[in-house]
Amino acid sequence: MKISFYGLVILCLLEILVRVFHLYKDTPSRMIDDYGVEKWVPNQTGYCVTGNRRQNVGKYRINSSGFNSYREFEPTEYNFELALIGDSFIEGFHQDYDKSIGKILESKLPGVIVYEFGYAGYDLASEFHLLNTYDSIFNKIDKIVIYLDYPDDLKRDNYSVSRERLRLESGVFRMMKQSKLLVYTQNIGLLGVPINSLSYLKTMISKILMPDKHTIPSEMISVRSNEDIHFRNFKMLWETQANSKEKIMFLIDRASFPKSLQLYFQTQKIQVIDYGIPFEYAEKPVTLIYDQHWNSYGRELVSQAIADQVNLR
Amino acid sequence: MLFNSLVFFIFLPIVFTIYWGFGRWKLKIQNLFLLVASYVFYGWWDYRFLSLIMLSTLVDYLIGQGMESATRKFRRKAYLWISILFNLGMLGFFKYYNFFVESLSVSLQLLGFQESSLWTLNILLPVGISFYTFQTLSYSLDIYKGKLKPTRDFIAFATFVSFFPQLVAGPIERASNLLPQINTKRTFSYAQAADGLKLILWGLFKKVAIADSLAVIVDDVFLNYADYSGSTLALGLIFFSFQIYGDFSGYSDISIGTAKLFGIELMSNFRFPYFSRNISEFWHRWHVSLSTWFRDYLYIPLGGSREGRVKAVRNIFIIFLVSGFWHGANWTFLIWGGIHASLYLPVFLMGKNRSYVGEHLGHGSLITNFLDFLKLLQTFILVTLSWTYFRAENLASANGYLGRLFGNLGIEEYHHPRGYRMIDYFILLGIFVLYEYLIRHNERKPVPFRNKVLRLWIYTLLVLGLLLFYDSGSDRSFIYFQF
Repeated sequence: MKISFYGLVILCLLEILVRVFHLYKDTPSRMIDDYGVEKWVPNQTGYCVTGNRRQNVGKYRINSSGFNSYREFEPTEYNFELALIGDSFIEGFHQDYDKSIGKILESKLPGVIVYEFGYAGYDLASEFHLLNTYDSIFNKIDKIVIYLDYPDDLKRDNYSVSRERLRLESGVFRMMKQSKLLVYTQNIGLLGVPINSLSYLKTMISKILMPDKHTIPSEMISVRSNEDIHFRNFKMLWETQANSKEKIMFLIDRASFPKSLQLYFQTQKIQVIDYGIPFEYAEKPVTLIYDQHWNSYGRELVSQAIADQVNLR
Repeated sequence: MLFNSLVFFIFLPIVFTIYWGFGRWKLKIQNLFLLVASYVFYGWWDYRFLSLIMLSTLVDYLIGQGMESATRKFRRKAYLWISILFNLGMLGFFKYYNFFVESLSVSLQLLGFQESSLWTLNILLPVGISFYTFQTLSYSLDIYKGKLKPTRDFIAFATFVSFFPQLVAGPIERASNLLPQINTKRTFSYAQAADGLKLILWGLFKKVAIADSLAVIVDDVFLNYADYSGSTLALGLIFFSFQIYGDFSGYSDISIGTAKLFGIELMSNFRFPYFSRNISEFWHRWHVSLSTWFRDYLYIPLGGSREGRVKAVRNIFIIFLVSGFWHGANWTFLIWGGIHASLYLPVFLMGKNRSYVGEHLGHGSLITNFLDFLKLLQTFILVTLSWTYFRAENLASANGYLGRLFGNLGIEEYHHPRGYRMIDYFILLGIFVLYEYLIRHNERKPVPFRNKVLRLWIYTLLVLGLLLFYDSGSDRSFIYFQF
C-alpha cells in the first residue's frame, strides 16, 4: 500500500515537472471536413517539442482555415497571392509559425501575400484534392507552389479519405492526451515499447490461430518497377486532377527525381523550382539536427529559390 | 533476459507475486520456484545453454558429496582437481579456445612454420559462464578447505548456482554467504523489499541515464579516434570511465535489489570506486566480488605477501594478469591487467595498500581535504587511461588512441553524433558525481536521507533523469554480459 501511494505521488510530481518544463509535444486536434479534406481543427495554438530534452521547440498557430500560419486566408481578386502547399516541410511545426517559409518569402517578395497550406502526411493526391475542393479560394490565388517529395508523395494515383490518423483523436488516445506525462513518454518512444510488444504478441497469436492458407508464388506476382508506378501516378494525377496548370509550380529537389519524370516535366512544360541546387552549394547544414526538416538556413534557401522563380516569371 | 528490458519488467512482478503471494510455501517449494524462474530467465536468452548450467550444477554437487564422503586427503584432492578442470575446461573451451588457437598460429608463423589452416571454431559464448563457473568453483574450494559443509539438497544447490538476479553478471557469490540463505525459509520483509526497489531504481538510473546515454558518444569517439584531437579523445575516455561504471555498478545494484525482493542479501560489488585515493583502494571498491575471489582463491593460496617480497610481487602480477584475462580472450585485457599490476606495485612496496581499507573519502566531514582530492584525481586519471586497453578492439587501436591523445593536444568542440546538446551530459555527470559523493558512506542505501519529502523528490528526479536520457533508438545490453 505504502509503495503504491509513493508511486502515485511520484507520478503526480512527474506530471507537474513535465508540464512546468513543457517537455511534451502539444499535438493539435485533427479533423476531416465535410468535403473530405484532412486538416487541423481551426484556431489552436501550442508548442511542438522534439527530443527528450526540448532539443527543438516550435510554436504553432492553426488559423481559422485549419492550417499553421500567422495569416488568415482571405484571398482577393486584386492582390498578388501565392499558395504554398505541401507536407510537414511546409506545415512547419518544427519552427515558430511566424518564422515560416511563407513569412520569409513575403519579406523577399514585397506586396505578395503567401498562404501556407501545409499538413503532415499530405501527398500529391491529397494536395490536388485540396485544390479542387477549395477551388473558390484557389481561383483567386495567382500562383500555387506545391512541394513535391519523390517518391513519398507519389505513392497513389487517386485520393480517398484515410481515417488512420484520426484514430489518434478518439477513445483511449484522446484520454491519454490529457496526461502530459503519457504524451511525453510516447514522444520519446518509451510508450512504444509496450505498445509494439503488444502488437507483436497480437500478430504472433493471430499467426498461430489463423495461418496463411494460400500463399501466392512469388513468380506469379507481376512486378513493376517502383519508378514506373510513381511516374504513372504523377501522370494520372497531373492529367486528371490538375486544373489551372499554368498557375502551378512544383518545388522539387530535381536530383532526387528519375530521368523519366524530369523529361515529362520538360515535355509538358511543367514549371519547377529546384531547391536542390542551392542546397548542394550550401555553406552550412540545411536541416535540423533532431529531425530532417529544414532549419532556418534551409528555409532561407528554399524561400530564395521560390522568390527567384516568381520574380523571373 | 535483460534487466533493462520490458520482458524483465513483466517477468519480475509475476515471479515476485507468485513467490510471496501464494500462501506460506515450504522452503523446498520456494527454492524450486526460484530455480524454475531462474531457468526461464536464462533460457529466454538461449535455452540450449541451460544444459551447461545444469551440467555444471550436477558435477559440482556430486563433487561436493564425494569430497564429504572421502576420508583420505588424496581423494579429496582428486575431487577438487576434477572440479577445477571441469569448470576451467568449460570456461576455456567456450571463452578462450579460439584465442589460444589464433595465438598459436601467429607464434608458429613467427617461427617460420607455415600454418595452412586455422582450427578455430564458431562458438557462441554462453552468457554468464565466467560468473557461474567461478561461483561453483568457489563451492568446491571452500568444501576442500573445510570452510563449508556441502549441501545434500540438490534443489538448494541448483538455486545457488543459477539464482537469476546474479546469474549472468554477478556479484560472484560465495557459497558460504548465499547457500545458508537459500537453505533458510524466507519471510517477506517490507523494509527489505522497499530497499530492493530503491536499489533497482538507482541501478536503472545508472544504466539508462549514465551508461547508455554516454555510450553513443564513447562509441563514436573510439570508432573514429583517428579523426579527433586530444581533447575529444580525453572526453571519450572520461565518458567511458563513467559508462562502464554506470553499466556494471548499475547492473549490480539491480541485481542486489532484485535479490532483496526475494528475501536474499547479495554481497556488494561496487563501493564508489572513483572516490579512491590509490589503486589499492580502487580495487577494494571496484568489482569487489571478483577481486576478493582472486584474493581468496588465487593470491592467498599462492602465498600472498607472506613469503617474501619477490614472491609477493610475482603473485600480484599473477592475479592482475589473470583478472585481466578473465574479462576476455584478448591481449588488450592482459595489458590492462598488467597496467593495474604496475600501478598497484609501488603502492604495495610503500606499504600503503591497506591505508584506506574501510575508510571513506572525507570521513566524518562533508568536504574532503585538498590532498585527498589530489590523490583521488590522480587515481581517476590513471584508471581512466588504463580503460583505453579495456575498451579498444585491439592493441593497435589502443596504442593509436593513446598516441593520438598525447600526440595531438589540440582542443576542439565536439558535436554529439545525434546532435544532442553536450552541455546536458556535463550537467548530468556533475550532478551524478556530487550525489554519489553525498551518499558515499553506504553503497546499499542510494537514498539515505531521513526527510520524506526530500526522498520523494529524489525518486521523482531519478525517474525524470531516466526519461530525459532514455534513448529509444538504442537497445543496449550490459557490457559485462560479454564476459
